[in-house]
Amino acid sequence: MYRKQILKKFNPALDNILYILHDLQDNNPEHYLAKEDIRVCADYLGVPYSYVHSVASFYTMFSLKPRGRYIIRLCDSPPCHLMGSQSLLDYLKKELKVNVGETTRDKVFTLELTSCLGACGVAPAMMINEEMFGNLTPAAVDAILEKRRKEL
Amino acid sequence: MTKEKKLSITIDNKKLEVRPNITILQAARENGIYIPSLCAYEHLPSYGACRLCVVEVDGLRGFPTSCTTPVEDGMVIRTDTAEVRSLRQEVLKLLLSEHPASCLFCGEQTECKNYQGTIRKVGVTTGCRYCPNDDRCELQLITEKVGLTETSYPVYYRGFPVEKEDPFYDRDYNLCILCGRCVRVCNDVRLNGTLSFKQRGKLTTIGPAFDRTHLEAGCEFCGACVTVCPTGALSTKVSKWYGRPDTQVGTTCVYCPVGCKLILQVKNGETIDALPDYDSPVDQGLICVKGRFAIPEYVHSAKRYTSPQRLTPVGYEDISWDQAIDDAKERLSGIDPGDCLVMVSPQMSNEDLFVAQRFAREAMKTEDIFPLLISDLGEDLIPFLDLVMHASPFDVIGAAQGILSIGFDSTYGFAPIGIQVKAAAKNGAKLAALNFYESNLDVLAETAHETEPSRWAGMIDSLARAMPENGAANVVIIGPDVVFDPGRGAIFNKVIALRDVHKWKVIVAHPYTNLLGMLATGAFPGIKPGEALKKGGSAAAVKGVPVYPDLNKRRKVVYVIGEAQIDAAPPCDYLIYQNGLPPEGGLQPDLILPACMFTESSGTTVNAEGKVLPIQKAYEPFMKSQPDWWIVSRIVERMQKKAFKYNSVDAIQRDMKRQIKGFFSMKKGLEFGKAGGAAQSRGKRTMKNREDRYRGVPLASVVTGMKAVEERRRHE
Repeated sequence: MYRKQILKKFNPALDNILYILHDLQDNNPEHYLAKEDIRVCADYLGVPYSYVHSVASFYTMFSLKPRGRYIIRLCDSPPCHLMGSQSLLDYLKKELKVNVGETTRDKVFTLELTSCLGACGVAPAMMINEEMFGNLTPAAVDAILEKRRKEL
Repeated sequence: MTKEKKLSITIDNKKLEVRPNITILQAARENGIYIPSLCAYEHLPSYGACRLCVVEVDGLRGFPTSCTTPVEDGMVIRTDTAEVRSLRQEVLKLLLSEHPASCLFCGEQTECKNYQGTIRKVGVTTGCRYCPNDDRCELQLITEKVGLTETSYPVYYRGFPVEKEDPFYDRDYNLCILCGRCVRVCNDVRLNGTLSFKQRGKLTTIGPAFDRTHLEAGCEFCGACVTVCPTGALSTKVSKWYGRPDTQVGTTCVYCPVGCKLILQVKNGETIDALPDYDSPVDQGLICVKGRFAIPEYVHSAKRYTSPQRLTPVGYEDISWDQAIDDAKERLSGIDPGDCLVMVSPQMSNEDLFVAQRFAREAMKTEDIFPLLISDLGEDLIPFLDLVMHASPFDVIGAAQGILSIGFDSTYGFAPIGIQVKAAAKNGAKLAALNFYESNLDVLAETAHETEPSRWAGMIDSLARAMPENGAANVVIIGPDVVFDPGRGAIFNKVIALRDVHKWKVIVAHPYTNLLGMLATGAFPGIKPGEALKKGGSAAAVKGVPVYPDLNKRRKVVYVIGEAQIDAAPPCDYLIYQNGLPPEGGLQPDLILPACMFTESSGTTVNAEGKVLPIQKAYEPFMKSQPDWWIVSRIVERMQKKAFKYNSVDAIQRDMKRQIKGFFSMKKGLEFGKAGGAAQSRGKRTMKNREDRYRGVPLASVVTGMKAVEERRRHE
């Protein structure tokens, strides 16, 4: 079980709860915290199941729903908004046929919004998994998505 | 202990001397200064969520919340300045922006309260009379105290559906103000952890993880969250529309031998609710589902007898008490001692038991008193009595270094014991748990085994060896699953060895509420009043020896008092049945005498620690019901036996004082001598499914919610 290996990396102290949850989420094939992930974390730290769920549901960087292989996080902060992130969002929604927080039917992309990514200089910006993209236009977004699809 | 130095502070120009290590709010409350607060609760850790208790403190920036600020020497505090007041009003307005407020701000509020001038339908539509907490709501009180008469914000109605799928209480989170009292009481006081906050911001709700029902999430249904909720968000199903109770009566729960204190809420001569007492020394307010929720529905069950009844060829006929006592007298007079058997229940009060044994011994001249537990335990009775009579008080758990729990689960019973075990385990005590199913202690246990009960006895030794060396610091807890298992004899003997050889402390969580009272008052075959008690500090053996009544011999009369499992009684010509609710099984009693519930008659009961605890009469008996002692006493009187004649509980207690030395004056609790006697196998029942019962009637058959709880316990 990969989950056991993850837990072994951390001390069973409550301070580590966020690190553990992040690690569990990153290693989950569907990039989310499954009930099983919450369960093993609670058992490992000796805290109630509901407590871990409460932490996981509080932070927006944790998802309790299965997500796609590529998680698109479009910046929603004022600078990007001024530079047209709203129309990009509409474009992404249309292109992927999903709403914010949803995953495409082929389980490839998940569309999310995020607060400032610190890349206001190249607004509008977005992240796909750990990668940054700036100066976005619908055409640029098309190219990026197409590249991901080809990588599959 | 050195005397703590008092601190001198000033609150609202009043110089005060207060204890150190308390918060400003506590200091103010102890000195009668009112500071409004919604999230602070006396027995919960400070939280600082509602911001209503803000005060001004010289030298501190801004407006600190008094519930989280500790007092310091020389502090100058102002609780009621204009600025603080307007701040509180604003805070309350924001709080109420998510809480339906029509009951708080309404032009017709006073009129409505006095004359109910508003048409009922209007109240239901606008919501002002649609809250179960109306008239006993902390929010209403605080709004009045803070002086808020209108709000400038629109009310955001969250529109959650009311959650009704769980037993015992409903949840309407539209009324929730997110003060977190329920979450804290569940996690920090009950150490249960069913509830937590979910999501954040305006999406925040309270509940178990992943929208599971409370039953699935391991909720104990202790009702602590309902007790502490300041709004109508959480409400007891049975009593939600009753409004404010007329009176409160403190009494002792008789559903199990822990002896928790209950504060019965009485309205119109009925128990509408039972609340815990967080200051009670026995249970610290940690009552379980049975005490919290199973009382009103049981004691006011629709199945209760309204009048004495006599069996005729065409069914039962209602008769007067006079006729009923005549009938009983006729049957009981002039029969041989061996032809009568008196069945008693450990869920009767000491006074009732004392009168019952006097009836058997003095009026009938028989020793055939039959508590059903003799049948339950069979040949394991003597070691069981030995363990029960020398059990330790519950607070030994707090100081324990090692705890071994066998067949014990405190989810739906014995909560004060279970929570103390959990707290000890959290503080570093070593906990080992042996169970058939998963127990609620397993999470905190160092070792937890789920095996067949037949293997438990064999595992005790190795588990005990792994415990700390000093046996006197170890505790073993035997749960009801041991008491009802056929292999209990071996387990009892192992535990007795741990106690006698290694000086372990023992706690037995058994279902026989007043078993110790039964032994002390002599309502036990072979043990006369006071004989079981230790005399003058010597560890002398008990003078009487338990005897087993012959359960196969046919009797002329069997007189059942406070027990419903009458199938276990020996065959007889005439069955007198004295109880509140109909018996179990197919047998039809010949004479039915309606008896009182413990809420309707005063007395005392003895808990598992040996403490004599009071049972208070809360209201007059239901219909023609009468207390057990009254009925027995009237029968004796009619039989013209000069044995005894009681007209009040006081008179019984006077006689008990005379016959049982020190019964009401023991400070530490009753101490018992060593139980002796030879084991005889007379067990004719094995109780595979242990159900919670009161006076023989399963709670689940009378109390709606207990059925779900019982099924969950049996893992169905």
